[in-house]
Amino acid sequence: MTHLAYREAPLELDADFVVVGSGAGGATAAVILARAGRSVVLVEAGAWRDPADYPESSYGAMRDLLDDWGATITRGRALWPIVQARTMGGTTVINSAICVRTPGDIFEQWTREHGLEDLSTSVWQHQDRLERELAVEEVPPDSRGRSNLLAAAGDAHAGYDGHVMLRYVRGCAGSGQCLQGCKRLRKQSTNLNYVPELIERGQTVLSSAPVDRVILEGRRAVGVRGRFSHPTSRRRGGTFTVRARRAVIVAASATHTPAILLRSGLKSPALGRFFRAHPGTGIFGCYDEPVDMNQGTTQGWASTKFRTEPGLKLETLAIPFELVASRLSGGGSELMQRLGEYRHIAMWVHACRAESTGTVQSGLFGKPVVHYSLDRADMERFRLGMHLVGRWHFAAGAKAIIPGIHGMPYKLGPDQVDQLLEAPLDPRAYIAILSHLFGGCVMGKDPARSVCDSSGRVHEVEGLMVADASAIPTNLGVNPQHTIMALAGLYAERAANAG
Amino acid sequence: MWLIRSAICALYPGAPGVPGVAELDLDDFLARYRREAPTLMWLGLVLGAVAFTLSPVLTIGWPLPSFWLPRSALDQHASRAAGHRWYLLRQLVMIVKMSGGLCWGQHPRVRAIHGVAPYSADPGTWRAE
Repeated sequence: MTHLAYREAPLELDADFVVVGSGAGGATAAVILARAGRSVVLVEAGAWRDPADYPESSYGAMRDLLDDWGATITRGRALWPIVQARTMGGTTVINSAICVRTPGDIFEQWTREHGLEDLSTSVWQHQDRLERELAVEEVPPDSRGRSNLLAAAGDAHAGYDGHVMLRYVRGCAGSGQCLQGCKRLRKQSTNLNYVPELIERGQTVLSSAPVDRVILEGRRAVGVRGRFSHPTSRRRGGTFTVRARRAVIVAASATHTPAILLRSGLKSPALGRFFRAHPGTGIFGCYDEPVDMNQGTTQGWASTKFRTEPGLKLETLAIPFELVASRLSGGGSELMQRLGEYRHIAMWVHACRAESTGTVQSGLFGKPVVHYSLDRADMERFRLGMHLVGRWHFAAGAKAIIPGIHGMPYKLGPDQVDQLLEAPLDPRAYIAILSHLFGGCVMGKDPARSVCDSSGRVHEVEGLMVADASAIPTNLGVNPQHTIMALAGLYAERAANAG
Repeated sequence: MWLIRSAICALYPGAPGVPGVAELDLDDFLARYRREAPTLMWLGLVLGAVAFTLSPVLTIGWPLPSFWLPRSALDQHASRAAGHRWYLLRQLVMIVKMSGGLCWGQHPRVRAIHGVAPYSADPGTWRAE
């Protein structure tokens, strides 16, 4: 079989399994099924772009790699963007490939609060396999760049117990282009390994093929239906129908998976609920010497010391130069003057382990609509994250920090860092994003409070599974890709061996 | 289109030794943006430009559209509109600022001045088979 891209003519296929989505969850599930000898059709909404096709600019990445140009925003007190990809390989193409094992306390929480069996041993076994297959390694010393080296030095002074990141990257070249796709073929996004393996194993891969709905016959899912969408003009092409003899596995992301199931007519009371995220934002530190934060790996240093209390992860993050322009406050000559400092600033961020939950609905034209706001406790946690990042910069020798909080001074000096503890609790004062998403189709024992079980099988319908972040019933406090991939692998393994 | 151009130029006017966005193929960029961006995104940019143009009365107390302001007042307006206390206005201006930043910050002249490597041309390609 083969890869089938955009086409005008209708298409009908069948296989043992159809997998919707080619990101961390979908590609992993599909390859495990194929290795077990099952026939698979993988269906991806975005186009298949190889590293030579990746644009380098942020504009090009928004156009070619991001879902809806990155314009999906939360509806709530603040309008925060939700960053997801729409391309073969999903968000693994545009993230920093950070690999963190699922913490043990998460499994205990899943058992205690959601009645799930203990998945720890199985998940960690899959994570062992993933780490071997995807060449997980520390960022090499030569690729760390000055921002990450400063972060390490600051960490040593501040006592944050940080570490060099482990990532799914084979010999990082330090090109600082993780967020626009790695053109050097170092980052092990799934479009470079698992998806090609599917083709080598004789399976079928559809690209530019957004799924509209799951086909239900009675209480059984028997396939999916959609219509091809042209990679550049978005012109609608031919319809496609893929029938699944054994199961439909939806792994289209924490926003798209619930939206697809809602459009398909599922009625579970938990569907689209319990959406969670790690909202995050950053602070620029201003240094005497040039930092050139876009030289070296995009993200190379992290601290998980505050993961449990107060619930924060701290990381370095180099954002592309052209996005710095809109991230710095002000406009006109004032902004131009501020941008003159670019070479001397470094951005470090926090990801907040927020407990607030939101909802996902299917909106007009099939786009997911996310309602999400942080409650006061989360905003206090979020604000503490700002203070920790500010202190981190000063411990690294920053002369000033740029917090980017509306209503606060543009810059704060070392003796003013505690002002961040009094920063506004209004989320509208911050420029933040949601990058780690969870829930919407959460797993659990109780069908009234969950959509699927601990094997990803949807309670309400036979032959339908969920295998992505939407199944994760809690936040994690760490980057989720490793957990998503391991869970998807486990679900697929169980599905392949069932009946 | 003219209104959008005017708002973006006000936000990125240039500085000594650094070109403003008006000198950096902005018209080509906007034509491409209009052709390629989803309708809602383009609409956001239009709304942002309209908000920027009509808001000097809120920011500096001048009851004039921004394109009639003298240079110094326009500069003051650009600064205040980007940080206005009204969240909606701030967000709309943010759309204009982000779009302008994409054009300004990806230009090789600006990147060279700021010590950032130039981008290669967007391939605009994908795997068709």
